[in-house]
Amino acid sequence: MAELELDALTKVFQDGDDEVVAVDDVSVEIDDGEFLVVVGPSGCGKSTTLRMVAGLESVTSGRIRLGDRIINEERPQNRDIAMVFQSYALYPHMTVRENMSFGLEESTEMPDDEVRERVEDTAGLMGIEGLLDRRPTELSGGQQQRVALGRAIVRDPEVFLMDEPLSNLDAKLRSQMRTELQRLQEDLGVTTMYVTHDQTEAMTMGDRIAILDGGRLQQVATPLECYHEPANQFVAGFVGEPSMNFFEMRYEEGRLVGDAFEYPLPAEIDEAVAGATDVVLGIRPEAVELVGERDGGHDFPVVVDVVEPMGNENTVYLEFEDTAETLVATTDGMLRITEDERVTARIPEDAIHVFDGTTGEALHNRTVVDEEVASVPTE
Amino acid sequence: MRDILRTVRRRLTHDDPSTDGGTITEQRPSPGATQRVRDRLGDRFGSDFVESLPFWLPTFLLMGLFVYGAIIWNLLISLTDYQGFVQPDYTNLDLEMYAQAFTDSSVVSASVNTFLLLIAFTLATLAVGLGLAILVDRHIRFENTFRTIYLLPMSLSFVVTAQFWLWMYNFNNGVVNILLGVVGLGPVDWLGNQSVVLWAVVFALMWQFSGYAMVVYLAGLRAIPTEHYEAAKVDGASTLKMYWRVIVPQLKGSTISASVVLMVFALKAFDFLYSLVSGYRPPAGSDILATKMVREAYSNLNWAYGSAIAIMLFAMALSIIGPYLVYQFRRGNL
Repeated sequence: MAELELDALTKVFQDGDDEVVAVDDVSVEIDDGEFLVVVGPSGCGKSTTLRMVAGLESVTSGRIRLGDRIINEERPQNRDIAMVFQSYALYPHMTVRENMSFGLEESTEMPDDEVRERVEDTAGLMGIEGLLDRRPTELSGGQQQRVALGRAIVRDPEVFLMDEPLSNLDAKLRSQMRTELQRLQEDLGVTTMYVTHDQTEAMTMGDRIAILDGGRLQQVATPLECYHEPANQFVAGFVGEPSMNFFEMRYEEGRLVGDAFEYPLPAEIDEAVAGATDVVLGIRPEAVELVGERDGGHDFPVVVDVVEPMGNENTVYLEFEDTAETLVATTDGMLRITEDERVTARIPEDAIHVFDGTTGEALHNRTVVDEEVASVPTE
Repeated sequence: MRDILRTVRRRLTHDDPSTDGGTITEQRPSPGATQRVRDRLGDRFGSDFVESLPFWLPTFLLMGLFVYGAIIWNLLISLTDYQGFVQPDYTNLDLEMYAQAFTDSSVVSASVNTFLLLIAFTLATLAVGLGLAILVDRHIRFENTFRTIYLLPMSLSFVVTAQFWLWMYNFNNGVVNILLGVVGLGPVDWLGNQSVVLWAVVFALMWQFSGYAMVVYLAGLRAIPTEHYEAAKVDGASTLKMYWRVIVPQLKGSTISASVVLMVFALKAFDFLYSLVSGYRPPAGSDILATKMVREAYSNLNWAYGSAIAIMLFAMALSIIGPYLVYQFRRGNL
């Protein structure tokens, strides 16, 4: 077990004469035993980052430190890491037992009976003892996934690297494995770097999340910090489903003016936003309230466009009259609301986020109502 | 042919498709005699058996007569004492020719040579082909050019290869001896020395066919996902171990299909040896069953004896192809 540090890690691919920057100056420190989820849209460089740590991709510049070794130039076989691949990459000609012993046989001098014992122990831990003498092709997707995990665990490496390991499972199995994987990681206490594009996995599994976009690190923080106090507009839009509402506005003395509506700013937010001209107003769907009567400058008349009932809640698409701007709100599942109904939407001032229109930096984040609860990590 | 095979397979594996029990049977007038025959044939060999007859029957008959008929006739001749310019006598059939062949030292040495050629050529070609395939597969520059260059000898005819290697192996001016001379070895009389000539032939054939083995292996390598290489590396395997334990075992299918083709080519090495000396007598020490057979039949007019050797060669070829066909059949590829 060791901590893993990425320091100004950069990867540039040569594509003919063009240079493609896949990973741009990424610095993260992953503590010993921490579960870090690297998340971002496809092509954001998250897999490349992971592959650089694994040694499957060379490092253009920057440093990768594992414990007190700099492993930039180490060959993958000498790094003492184990990786779980999206496709599992089980060797089809070997039985489950042979698949799991392979790494121990190749990377250690361990005697055969000890290898055997460790493989059997790990298989017991993963609940795959009965499959040891089968071949990967005879296993279901979920079983193969367990074997792939078992193959990584049995090595007892310094770091686990996981490249979207759950994305080939069906939805139900995925959520089950999510919990199980989290519990396993906690029990084993191995430093883990987990790459995914699924923000649910990121939110629920990670001790911390690192959000990447276009090769750049946007924010590293606990899931709830990312959710409530996003560093910029990208993070705000990426985390959360349905995603945050954004309105492009202009700052004018004490208020925000947009195509659809004007939003008066309270003194405290006004101070934080002052100086900017183009800004983006953000509001989470669940923070939008539907109220009976218009009361003050934060309430706006809207028309219900589409209602998506989910049972526990409704996702309601509201339209400002005479504009194309839509406001998404989630309301209580019991609330009866129909299309084309005229309602009043309230955008509470304590729940708004304001981002710089050009850089996307967060100028103001919502006030977190209950600090105690919000700052507790998801463990 | 496919229909027949399918029917046979269905019968062997007993997996007749069953209906759901709720099909509607049409009330039809009772069928005439021709219709009954057609129906019975259809039941036995599949519903489009009669309709497909014109398409496969002519080739089926021609193949039957000229390939399988000829084999059977050849078998018959091998049981007679047919020799010289007289007509064969089919009344007195015995295994005398086979008995004679088993005690004939030249047939025995030809068999040994055939085996040596078969094994050495196949193994060497597979090994070289695998090596080339692995090298070409490592995303080298000019990959396609190399692939073409290595495959090129395959497109040459045996006659050309033989002539080419005849020059290469020339005692005085051959490239091989000149190269060996540079490092102070030789010269070696490659085609005249009984103990090396067979290996010289093996090498020449390997030169021609390793490109083929490379292509088969390359296809196999391309089918292995990159993650297997990466997983093996992360698992701590060195490059050599990675290939040996993870990649090469996955090429089993490619090895089997390539070796069957190569073995059959080895048995047919007659063309090469014939072209090498422009005659039925290959260099001493490189006589194989194929050359011996032709020599007995066409030079010595020992028709029955030649036929017996031919049948022995046929049995050898069958013993290679047979298991392969069974293997493919079991996997449902036929």
